[in-house]
Amino acid sequence: MSQTVVLKSNKYGINLILDHSIDFDQLLKDIAAKFEEAASFFKGAKMALSFEGRTLTQEEELRIVDTITSHSQLAIVCIVDNDKLREQMIREAIEQQEEEDAVKTGQFYKGTLRSGQILECEASIIILGDVNPGAKVVCRGNIVVLGSLKGNAYAGAGGNETAFVAALEMDPVQIKIGDVIGRSADKAFWVGRKKKKKAEPVIDPQVAVVKDGNIYIEPITRGLLNNL
Amino acid sequence: MSEVIVITSGKGGVGKTTTTANVGTGLAQMDKKVVLIDTDIGLRNLDVVMGLENRIVYNLVDVVEGNCRMKQALIKDKRYPNLYLLPSAQTRDKSAVTPEQMMKLTEELREEFDYILLDCPAGIEQGFKNAIAGADRALVITTPEVSAIRDADRIIGLLEANEIKQIHLIVNRLRMDMVSRGDMMSIDDVTDILAIKLIGAVPDDEQIVISTNQGEPLAGRTDTLAGQAYMNICRRVTGEEVPLLDLAAKSSVWSKIVNLFKKN
Repeated sequence: MSQTVVLKSNKYGINLILDHSIDFDQLLKDIAAKFEEAASFFKGAKMALSFEGRTLTQEEELRIVDTITSHSQLAIVCIVDNDKLREQMIREAIEQQEEEDAVKTGQFYKGTLRSGQILECEASIIILGDVNPGAKVVCRGNIVVLGSLKGNAYAGAGGNETAFVAALEMDPVQIKIGDVIGRSADKAFWVGRKKKKKAEPVIDPQVAVVKDGNIYIEPITRGLLNNL
Repeated sequence: MSEVIVITSGKGGVGKTTTTANVGTGLAQMDKKVVLIDTDIGLRNLDVVMGLENRIVYNLVDVVEGNCRMKQALIKDKRYPNLYLLPSAQTRDKSAVTPEQMMKLTEELREEFDYILLDCPAGIEQGFKNAIAGADRALVITTPEVSAIRDADRIIGLLEANEIKQIHLIVNRLRMDMVSRGDMMSIDDVTDILAIKLIGAVPDDEQIVISTNQGEPLAGRTDTLAGQAYMNICRRVTGEEVPLLDLAAKSSVWSKIVNLFKKN
């Protein structure tokens, strides 16, 4: 039978690793036995206490502390929250909230981003102008360029692969969404127009999204927008 | 009211010095009092293009360091009495001058001149920072090549960051035959990318090479397309509205005759 109570020292004091399957009263008895064994070792030490392996209510925590102090001369100074599960949950919740905020809120930037300029943003960004080759936009949320995207764009910089990059004219050097990178096809920066009459510029708004671990650039349609 | 104009490009060899010499000469022809400053310390050549090398006694660094008075360093042009050159030092480097000193220098020259043209060195380092320090406006030179345009884009960004509000573009060395064949970017292609106001386009003209070698700027020479283009730029610099020159016009005998009648 494995031990129901394990003592471990950590940077605060001692860490109690508790079995989560047994009855709480049985657990208390086991804790009492454990600390009686170790009473001579601890003597009158002052320590902080933390728990692991079992979710405890405040009352249960206090009862454990009572049990420990009555069965040894240990002075428990405080209880340190060491619930990795809870910590992770809180961290995930905060991160998720940040990601949601990043996608839901945004900023405007007016002007053309030129070679060598980097625009960074914690939320989403709407650029009223062009992003020229050599320029870079980095943000946690989405990127919308009301102009030509001819440089680099990095959306969902926190790792959010549901972010998107949209532009009126999509001709990027590189697009990164979350951890997925896509680069443009190898082609000349400027291709001569062979005897072509200067046609009216056709506006062809497109959006880049991640699908199956690849970046896809598609025309903006109602159906696509609903799925974003 | 005097204006300080920096002529810059980022990339080297696109025609900053030639443009400075010609715009300066053109403005002088329009009876403006003009001074050209060569800020390319260590790589002096505006004086050569102007044909004034043999007159240099003092230079920009001498003025800044107080070795001489401003009047002693300014060289009067051999053709136009209202055109002056402040040459650069050849034996020093860009670190010999600071942006603050350049600002002080241009402020001093403002009192006497209508236009102060700064010929900027290539690059974005100290020399560039010195040249733009005292400038009110900028003429950005590019050729219709991707590398020059990329550098011009970077330069425009830096000028904007330094709060130079008025930035104009000159597209240099256009070859209309190549443009019409679709082998070279057109003026529109360039302005589409750089998104700043065009102030002029200069054709690739062998007369430029000849005039540079002779030390005689050709601005205002109506027998060359480049000379006319530079003159138009000068008029636009002073605020005049001048339509773009038809660079595709071949100077055939027939077109010359037509032009003759048009003028009269």
